[in-house]
Amino acid sequence: LLGAGGGNDIQWCFSQVKGAVDDDVAEDKLLSELQYRKLKTGMRTAAKSGLSLSENKTQSHSRGEYNVYSTFQSHEPEFDYLKSLEIEEKINKIRWLPQKNAAQFLLSTNDKTIKLWKISERDKRPEGYNLKEEDGRYRDPTTVTTLRVPVFRPMDLMVEASPRRIFANAHTYHINSISINSDYETYLSADDLRINLWHLEITDRSFNIVDIKPANMEELTEVITAAEFHPNSCNTFVYSSSKGTIRLCDMRASALCDRHSKLFEEPEDPSNRSFFSEIISSISDVKFSHSGRYMMTRDYLSVKIWDLNMENRPVETYQVHEYLRSKLCSLYENDCIFDKFECCWNGSDIVMTGSYNNFFRMFDRNTKRDITLEASRENNKPRTVLKPRKVCASGKRKKDEISVDSLDFNKKILHTAWHPKENIIAVATTNNLYIFQDKMN
Amino acid sequence: MLGRGLKRKLSDYEENVAGLSSAFDSSRNLPYPLKRQLVLNMCLTKLQTYKMLVEPNLHRSVLIANTVRQIQEEMRQESSQPINVCTGITPSSHSYTGMESSGISLQLPSGISQQESNCCDLRSVEDPIENSLLIVSDDDMSSAISSILKDLDFVEDISPPTCLVPTGDDQPKFPENTGLKLEDDRQDLKGAECVFGSFEISNSTSYLKDLAIDDIFEDIDTSMYDSDFCCPPLMPPRPPPVATEEPLKTFPSCNSSSASNIQICRTDLSELDHIMEILVGS
Repeated sequence: LLGAGGGNDIQWCFSQVKGAVDDDVAEDKLLSELQYRKLKTGMRTAAKSGLSLSENKTQSHSRGEYNVYSTFQSHEPEFDYLKSLEIEEKINKIRWLPQKNAAQFLLSTNDKTIKLWKISERDKRPEGYNLKEEDGRYRDPTTVTTLRVPVFRPMDLMVEASPRRIFANAHTYHINSISINSDYETYLSADDLRINLWHLEITDRSFNIVDIKPANMEELTEVITAAEFHPNSCNTFVYSSSKGTIRLCDMRASALCDRHSKLFEEPEDPSNRSFFSEIISSISDVKFSHSGRYMMTRDYLSVKIWDLNMENRPVETYQVHEYLRSKLCSLYENDCIFDKFECCWNGSDIVMTGSYNNFFRMFDRNTKRDITLEASRENNKPRTVLKPRKVCASGKRKKDEISVDSLDFNKKILHTAWHPKENIIAVATTNNLYIFQDKMN
Repeated sequence: MLGRGLKRKLSDYEENVAGLSSAFDSSRNLPYPLKRQLVLNMCLTKLQTYKMLVEPNLHRSVLIANTVRQIQEEMRQESSQPINVCTGITPSSHSYTGMESSGISLQLPSGISQQESNCCDLRSVEDPIENSLLIVSDDDMSSAISSILKDLDFVEDISPPTCLVPTGDDQPKFPENTGLKLEDDRQDLKGAECVFGSFEISNSTSYLKDLAIDDIFEDIDTSMYDSDFCCPPLMPPRPPPVATEEPLKTFPSCNSSSASNIQICRTDLSELDHIMEILVGS
């Protein structure tokens, strides 16, 4: 599926870019999350201070244009008076709920509070009231001489976002994940030490299902980094840790899932051991494949595919940017080693994740080929085919290659998303959103 | 982290560290103990920086603390094998390249035994790299980690409010294995967290939240102001654009913290000012 060209290979070409041209953009415009809607053609991005929805309005499968559909402020900055600190409004995660009726629902969360938003569209309005003028003023009843039936007339699309539920005060530590259960009634939220189970209808209560806080905080050696429900089994979820382990839990086993059903951990490679081994083993994202048979984890240097039936090692490992292994000390010094990259699936075949210098990588599990592409405004003519990029780790740098030392570590792609049905991908740089699609589209 | 648009002025120390980390990465000749010391110093500096933050990042703190512990453990093991140290037998994967040939003078942490320093035949070479390294003792490291993690506990853990404990007795913490036994009609239990309600700061916060605002100020005599003034209705802030067809179920008065809902009436304020003027004037 992937490759430089020919046959059935996807050739990615530029479609759109949104966001500021200037790199020096205010902090609050930074993109912090993006995700495609599951069943429809919409896609949304979350910026640090708000939530922006983009919608593809074309009906056909032809090249779709994404335009901003709606922008609204999801969270406000808050001040915690007890601790005298500000809770940022920056959105950490957003998740769509499956659509039940005309309105769409999504969950968004900042560090402490989760909100359920209802996004409703209005593209018609009633006109021709008898007792009201068009502007809403009431008419003098004595002037009404005839009666008419009000009709619906089309109007410019108006998108309304209203907060429906606010799930607050259940997390002491910073929320890093939310995941909606396949029963579409419950969801989980995870912070550094605890995971809570919520019902979408109930905001004043949540169940604590995982608690790894030690009695004595000085004994703390591991934190929760991500959590996700299984796509098909509503009793199963996984959570990853800062030590590179993934635990699968079954909620039927006990109320408090402190005991895992499965523990996925790969033994360390002694030849790669360094002072930073533990730090780079910390898992930044975990995602189930659509089938639920596999799960993917992202640590600092690699993407690993795990078969749920095998706990002692992953079935596949893909190196995202192995050339950084020799730069770990510098990356530790400038804190880049703590960057949390996400990863995403295309079904069960291709996985995608971001890197530095606005590069992003795709790995085809079937052909074992991989490709590196760049999100840059330089190639921003529509339908420009993206050229594969290559990083020169050592030795003589070939033409068109970029050397490791020239990489810009401020330009990082942490969030990527793949359209559930089409070959359209969205890639978020620090303050821009790029959309690429298959040339065939 | 580099701030956007901010010019960061590097101190001399920071400049050295930046140079050192690239030296660490690029140079194979840097002796292992030096590398280790460098990493250790970086870790401790970071931990110290985090300590000064109001809300340190728990994830990072834990990772760095673990790295420090790992290095600590390594050093302890080394110091407990005095015979081996000089011949350059070090923990598994790293070769002890520079020790014999380059004779670098190391300022040893006090945790390492005296034998080590006697053993190694050192030429004292004025090496600016070592001189710029901070030397930290074993105890310092342990206490740094402990204090940071303890601080995180005290500052952070305010458990969720209004947990309903079924039987009303204080239940002891259940061991990990059994978890909490929930009965079907005890859906109100909010997990293990509730049990500690009486032990943690949380108790006072939930107490605060449970009280109506009026109760808090009950004992303050406001009889002078009560009859004459009416306060504007308290309007919690709302995000734009909102078109709610039905009222929200739980609006976050706790979300934005009770205190922010207290609005002082303008008329109250001017009246107070007036009274103050009189008092001050007399």
